[in-house]
Amino acid sequence: MISRFGAELVMAIIVAVFGLIITLGALEFGVGWSPSGPEPGTFPFYVGLIVTVAGVGIIFQTLIQRAYRDESFLTSAQLRSVIFFSLPIVALVAVSLWVGLYVGMALYLFASMKFQGGYRAGFSALVAIGMAVSLYLILEIGFQTPLLKGPLEDALGL
Amino acid sequence: MEGLEALFHGFSVAITAHHIILMIIGVLLGILVGVLPGLGAPNGVSLLLPLTFTMDPVAAIILLTSMYWGALFGGSTTSILFNIPGEPSSVATTFDGYPMAKQGRATQALSYAFLSAGFGALLGVIVITLLSGWVARFAMQFSPAEYFAVYFLAFASFVGFGGASPLKTIVAIGTGFTLAAVGMDSVSGNLRLTYGFDQLVAGISFLVAVIGLFGIGELVITIEDGLRLQGLRARISPRDVLNTALSMPRHWLALLRSGLVGCWMGITPGGPTAASFMSYGLAKRFSRDRDKFGKGEPEGIISPETADHAAGTCAMLPMLALGVPGSATAAVLLGGLMIWGLNPGPMLFIERPDFVWGLIASMYLGNVVAVILVLSTVPLFAAILRIPFSIFGPAIVVVCLVGAYTVGSKGFDLWLVLVFGVLGYAFKKLDYPIAPLILAMVIGDKAEDTFRQSLIMSKGSLSIFWSNPLVAGLMTLAFILLLSPIAVSFLRSLRKGSVA
Repeated sequence: MISRFGAELVMAIIVAVFGLIITLGALEFGVGWSPSGPEPGTFPFYVGLIVTVAGVGIIFQTLIQRAYRDESFLTSAQLRSVIFFSLPIVALVAVSLWVGLYVGMALYLFASMKFQGGYRAGFSALVAIGMAVSLYLILEIGFQTPLLKGPLEDALGL
Repeated sequence: MEGLEALFHGFSVAITAHHIILMIIGVLLGILVGVLPGLGAPNGVSLLLPLTFTMDPVAAIILLTSMYWGALFGGSTTSILFNIPGEPSSVATTFDGYPMAKQGRATQALSYAFLSAGFGALLGVIVITLLSGWVARFAMQFSPAEYFAVYFLAFASFVGFGGASPLKTIVAIGTGFTLAAVGMDSVSGNLRLTYGFDQLVAGISFLVAVIGLFGIGELVITIEDGLRLQGLRARISPRDVLNTALSMPRHWLALLRSGLVGCWMGITPGGPTAASFMSYGLAKRFSRDRDKFGKGEPEGIISPETADHAAGTCAMLPMLALGVPGSATAAVLLGGLMIWGLNPGPMLFIERPDFVWGLIASMYLGNVVAVILVLSTVPLFAAILRIPFSIFGPAIVVVCLVGAYTVGSKGFDLWLVLVFGVLGYAFKKLDYPIAPLILAMVIGDKAEDTFRQSLIMSKGSLSIFWSNPLVAGLMTLAFILLLSPIAVSFLRSLRKGSVA
């Protein structure tokens, strides 16, 4: 189990570090006054500073208030279902950048229906290919909006 | 009355067969995204927006706003039939809507919800019709300093009224501003905050952010507990709808009060969610049958629904007249306006009156279309929700990724959606508000520009933000809102101290 207390602290630390990265990154573009007004880094610099201070504030708030000490952020069962749902999405993106979105989505839909939903292979394939083809018709034919394509579309001449 | 004249012109622009078909498509798509968990009004509109880049702006805004109305209605359907709010703003509808439906009065519950929602929306459009021209004319006198003060006030009211932890709200706003600053600086032309990544040169699209934050993030939360949908049967009988409609005037006080709460919360960026909760609370406090609330009391449905839709509609007023959106969806629409080459704000009323009044006229019609469509399609959408999650969950993921790719045809955006999905999940779980982040991301560049222009005018002196009564008043009000959480907690600790 991951505790809410720990999750709050980790998030607040990430926020503070993020703010600091922005503040330091903005310094590169100048944060002072130039003949044409405030330099480009000024606004991000102060925004970054405010985010850092707010992040540190949340860290202290969490530590002092002792809130969330016994609260759960994620149980191990929940963590499992989140991972089982999320990893295939990461795979979908990685695979799609290589074989195109249409083939990628068909594979992803097929796999999630077959292995997570427990549907028969034939039905899963039907839904997966059906969705890819209908999105193709809507986007490429209907709205003339091209999606990322791969070797299969090249071979088919689409 | 020039407003009325302009409105009639607007109707002549809005009422064409093409626009009415778009309206119907928009409303139906809107109900669909409102009904499905993981899709809502802001990311539904974000997903559709790239497909409108080449459309005529009037047709495009009619399609997208109709989708917004449809999503607001769809959210109530699931609240009542499934006890699952399709939208955060329809949470309060579950309190009495689901109990009423459980007693076998689903038709009444749905009719109360849709009819009062329609009433709230119409009230909102009337307020927009009467006030927007006036607000725009008033805003014509604004210099960059006043504009910055208005933006500042909008964000300060999120901190003061938003309900989330003030520090977390500030983090959300700051993150939005930072993301908006990535890429080309609109004033100097410098590249900023790219940290050597070529992919960041063009900036980060707020559409990709919305799709990830709201879409993927929300889906993962839905998956956590395993989605169990246990819907109630819904067969709409026309006779019940009619009877409910006839009993509506009896609740005129609740309707009017909730409508006013909604309009107020929509114009000041409190948002539909806060409006619906506030309105429910007021209805309960003033009711003679206080005990019946939570057990299927009609006014427990009427009040949050009226306020929700009045606020959702009124959020369009500051968006059009000032360029400051009152809700996350209005922020996405505002971003759309800029993509179509329009400049939201008072000048829009002068440069493109056909667009502004065509849009306002379409709101009247769109909401009537939405009430009719939502009532007649309840069984269809209730059936869609019975499709197992292992099919439509992955399908929603695919739609989100496809939508993100169509924004800029960049493979990198697919990774960005996932990053925003993780961020949205963490924000949701830890009660960081997402709407202020979106608002800051959309108007971040404008807020920064007005800030820099003001300082150029004053040669670097911050006193320009107190240089006349208007800007000073706006800034003071903003600071009061910003500091109000501190004052409240200080007073509370004083009271605690005196008791002890």
